[in-house]
Amino acid sequence: MTEQSQPPDLTGNRGMQQTRETLYHVVFFACAALSVVTTVGIIVALLGDALSFFGSYSIVEFLTGTQWSVLSNSFGVLPLVYGTLIVTFGSALIAMPLGLLTAIYLSEYASKQMRSVLKPMLEILAGVPTVVYGYFAIVYITPFLEATLFPSISTFNALSASIVVGIMIIPMVASISEDAMSAVPDSLRQAGYGLGATKFNVSTRIVVPAAISGIASSFILALSRAIGETMAVTLAMGSKPGLPSSLHPGELFLRPYSSMTAQMVNTINGELSGGSAAYDAVFAVGLVLFVITLVMNIVSDRIASRYREEY
Amino acid sequence: MAAETQSDTDFGEVSQLKGILFEYLSLGASLLGILSLAALLVYVAVDAFGLEAADPLWFLIYFVTLVVPTLGFVGYGVKNRAVGTVGGTSLLYLLGGLAATLALSILFIIFDAQQWLLVYTVGVLPAALVFIYGRMKEWQQANLLTPIVFAVGSMLGVFLKGPLATFPQKWIIYLWTLGVPVAALLGSRALNRDGRDAAVATAVGTLAIAVAAALAGPALTGLNSDVTLLLGLFVGAPTLAYVARVVRTGHDGVAGLLMPVVIFGGMLLGAFVVQQVAVAQPESWVTWSYFTNPPSQLSAEEAGLFPAIVGSVFVITNVAIMTLALGVATSIYLEEYAASSGLLGKITRLIQVNISNLAGVPSVVYGLLGLALFINGLGLGLGIVLVASITLSLLILPIVIISSQEAIRSVPNELRQASYGMGATRWQTIRNVVLPQSLPGILTGTILALGRAIGETAPLLMIGAATTTFAPPTGYFDSVTVMPLQIYAWSSQPSDAFRYGVVAAGVVTLLIVLLTMNSVAILVRNKYQNES
Amino acid sequence: MSQENMTTSDPETTNTESDQLIDTDPGRGGLDESSGRGSVTSANTVIEARNVNVWYNDDQALNDIDMRIPKKQVTAMIGPSGCGKSTFLRCINRMNDLVDAARIEGELLFNGKNVYDSDVDPVALRRRIGMVFQHPNPFPKSIYDNVAYGLRLQGKTDNMDQRVEDALKSAALWDEVKDRLDESGTDLSGGQQQRLCIARAIAPDPEVLLMDEPASALDPVATSQVEDLIADLAEEYTVVIVTHNMQQAARISDKTAVFLTGGELVEFDDTQKIFENPESQRVEDYITGKFG
Repeated sequence: MTEQSQPPDLTGNRGMQQTRETLYHVVFFACAALSVVTTVGIIVALLGDALSFFGSYSIVEFLTGTQWSVLSNSFGVLPLVYGTLIVTFGSALIAMPLGLLTAIYLSEYASKQMRSVLKPMLEILAGVPTVVYGYFAIVYITPFLEATLFPSISTFNALSASIVVGIMIIPMVASISEDAMSAVPDSLRQAGYGLGATKFNVSTRIVVPAAISGIASSFILALSRAIGETMAVTLAMGSKPGLPSSLHPGELFLRPYSSMTAQMVNTINGELSGGSAAYDAVFAVGLVLFVITLVMNIVSDRIASRYREEY
Repeated sequence: MAAETQSDTDFGEVSQLKGILFEYLSLGASLLGILSLAALLVYVAVDAFGLEAADPLWFLIYFVTLVVPTLGFVGYGVKNRAVGTVGGTSLLYLLGGLAATLALSILFIIFDAQQWLLVYTVGVLPAALVFIYGRMKEWQQANLLTPIVFAVGSMLGVFLKGPLATFPQKWIIYLWTLGVPVAALLGSRALNRDGRDAAVATAVGTLAIAVAAALAGPALTGLNSDVTLLLGLFVGAPTLAYVARVVRTGHDGVAGLLMPVVIFGGMLLGAFVVQQVAVAQPESWVTWSYFTNPPSQLSAEEAGLFPAIVGSVFVITNVAIMTLALGVATSIYLEEYAASSGLLGKITRLIQVNISNLAGVPSVVYGLLGLALFINGLGLGLGIVLVASITLSLLILPIVIISSQEAIRSVPNELRQASYGMGATRWQTIRNVVLPQSLPGILTGTILALGRAIGETAPLLMIGAATTTFAPPTGYFDSVTVMPLQIYAWSSQPSDAFRYGVVAAGVVTLLIVLLTMNSVAILVRNKYQNES
Repeated sequence: MSQENMTTSDPETTNTESDQLIDTDPGRGGLDESSGRGSVTSANTVIEARNVNVWYNDDQALNDIDMRIPKKQVTAMIGPSGCGKSTFLRCINRMNDLVDAARIEGELLFNGKNVYDSDVDPVALRRRIGMVFQHPNPFPKSIYDNVAYGLRLQGKTDNMDQRVEDALKSAALWDEVKDRLDESGTDLSGGQQQRLCIARAIAPDPEVLLMDEPASALDPVATSQVEDLIADLAEEYTVVIVTHNMQQAARISDKTAVFLTGGELVEFDDTQKIFENPESQRVEDYITGKFG
């Protein structure tokens, strides 16, 4: 048997075809690798100009400076960080409770039919272009607030920005939290009902705690989205960098500020050619923004993978 | 929680009130965001269409002629799935055809139709014929020959442009370059389904409809003959072919064909009644001239969205081509090729993690990438079509990849096994089994991602795209504006006519485009789900 | 492409000749005794396993398998679930290559050539060893395109209609589908789908047909149709079938291999001998239903 004179040819010998297979493999790999190139490109682009900025501008002054002004060449990032924080905080106040309650409703109370209607509608909230949200804020929401609750509100203000950004990130909180709640095994719920708990008890004391890591992950992701949001914030809050003079809510919310993103858009519009300090400063802010959102995404991913392991 | 004072037979009442309150509270929370957005949309629609000026009777007329019948029909379609499917599909044909007509007429504003005629005649068509011949005769060399014919022919076509002086009319160019392939395509579908006679009838019928539309259309509609030809070709012919098929096969849902009739008939009837009664009509900002005028910063009445619409279509077309090619290739690699162990496995995991992180990078940062890399790095022009297209492609690529991966993953493994078991190579398995099965899912995900790209503003501001241009781009190196940028530019105008009129009309236009794209995506998905 | 078909089909013809030479080779009896398990003296071996061991990660799925599968007969592999019989089947045409965690040691000879040699292309191998799976898995294409799939892959595109018709006739499906070759293969009934998959597998004319519990997902009528078909197929092809159904193995096979827990091949012999007078007590216990 082994000394068979002519063993069958199984080498394929498919010449051209094999070359083609290899070619496709290489091409597909190259396309996949392009995503890594994109990341490298982002990092290089940001670092390159940011480093040249820090070459001429003290990094301590950048991080602790309380004034951002292109004209006077002072680039303190704190006012921009405040602008970003206040919108993030405000939108979180809206999106977290609403998103969480929505998730509980979808996962625990809603009928199948209700879910199939509500979920696509919620997705619409995230699908409306952000520039449209910005337009809504300045043309409808701010005048409405001025006419009803806050006569002293400025044309550009943090409150209306927070409202539209909050609406926009509700679906993110709701859908990820709902996934986490749906992943809670029914046996836990039945254990609760077996002990005589009401649906309310089961939802709030069993399901929510069991899904807490998924919920946390959704919160972080939504916050990171709010931090990176640009057009709605630029249009609604303006781009006038500043810090609040007191902790009065009116001072905190009803005045114009500038977020990091808004200032990037605003500054770059005048400084597109590169080389100037303002141009480089925008990349430094971009770097800060990139690092913050990246860290938040990674943390959120870590937490989310923990709940996936649990069940 | 429970009341503790029961007798043996009385189980008492566990606090129901709190539970009910909570249920309604959470329902309210679910609806709050949706309702707020709905209210805002109503406001902007009222402003854009100038509905305040309309008489209540106007609303009543349209409510009776259009809204009630449409809602009734939709309700019927939900109950009777077959009717719903046919209704949805016929709307898909109409909407899709209309979108194709619009997109093509806009693209031919940018690209030279005569050049296209030459490239098509000596490059695209011969290559397609070689490919089809190879398919029919099982002639394998065709796969190699096709790209060569295409490349040589296309180059020849480009060089022919100079010497040639006279060209046929535009609608004849369309008939030859678009009508013939569409007729062949519809014919071949009919061939598979109903045989030879039906195929010939469909192909000849398609061309006949197109010619008729080109000759008779201008007189009836006031549009150019080339536009009416496209309408006949992409709206008329496929819809008629679909209607013929449904009627002939005696489909259960044949009544669904009335869906478009109800909607468009309702519109016409409403318009007719309104004219008869002479009731006050809305003073809409969304008018024909709004779509065909260049933007104006001074006169709200003359302001139009034309260059921005052309720019959006051009950019999105490029983005669609780039992301579809790169996204599908990447997801194929990750799902079908990637190793799970060893060094390559590690690289694959790195790529995967990297893609999910890229999906979370703020869009404005992509703008910085475009600015630093393409403009200040490579020295490309500020805000040109090429840079805008690449930047937006990179932005939505991670989303396209992730959704394509899901679509590819949903192809049953048994089919792959069957193919490999037959001695298919990896690529043969992908091309013959995996891609045909996952294509609807890939398309749905890509269209949804394109919806995100069409509304993006910040990255385009960062690459210096003009917020206002007065003429549409004519090539890849022209500066471009898109609809959201124009909206941004106008929204800083202080006058009410701009704030509540022109911008609102722009917002409504953008939202309608988005809505159309999303409905097409959903219809594609539903059609696919019904079939499998 | 056509060149490459020439090269693959050429050695095929020479092989059959050399196989016939071996058929009369007197020196083979001694080899069989040395393998120690069963005797396949009368038949001519197509597939031979030598000390085949397979691991999935750290779990051993096959333990030192030695086996000779005879030409143009039906060889059944039975055993309790998880005994490794399907794994062995998938080793033969290297389908296990698609599982990253799988690791194989030993030799698996196909017509005397170790299919795990580095110069063997699994794609070329699978073109000569057809496979039918547990669940009918026709492609969502027309019946015609399903059968033509393998022919197109291999460039055997001359006389396509005739080849498709022949394959469907061999799979006893032609009369049922000849008027609707354009309809989707997935619209057929389960039994028809499985016969379509068999037609698809035999259309390119492989030497060996591997079947992984081909009737387990079918109703009794369809099962008996497929069983009849398998008996007919053995006239032209070497059939290796995995089944969990002992009666099925007894009905249709010429040889039976019994795998027991731990991926061990306990006994391999003529089917009649296995079912009437097995040598191993464990096999007898399994056959008579004392365990498993």
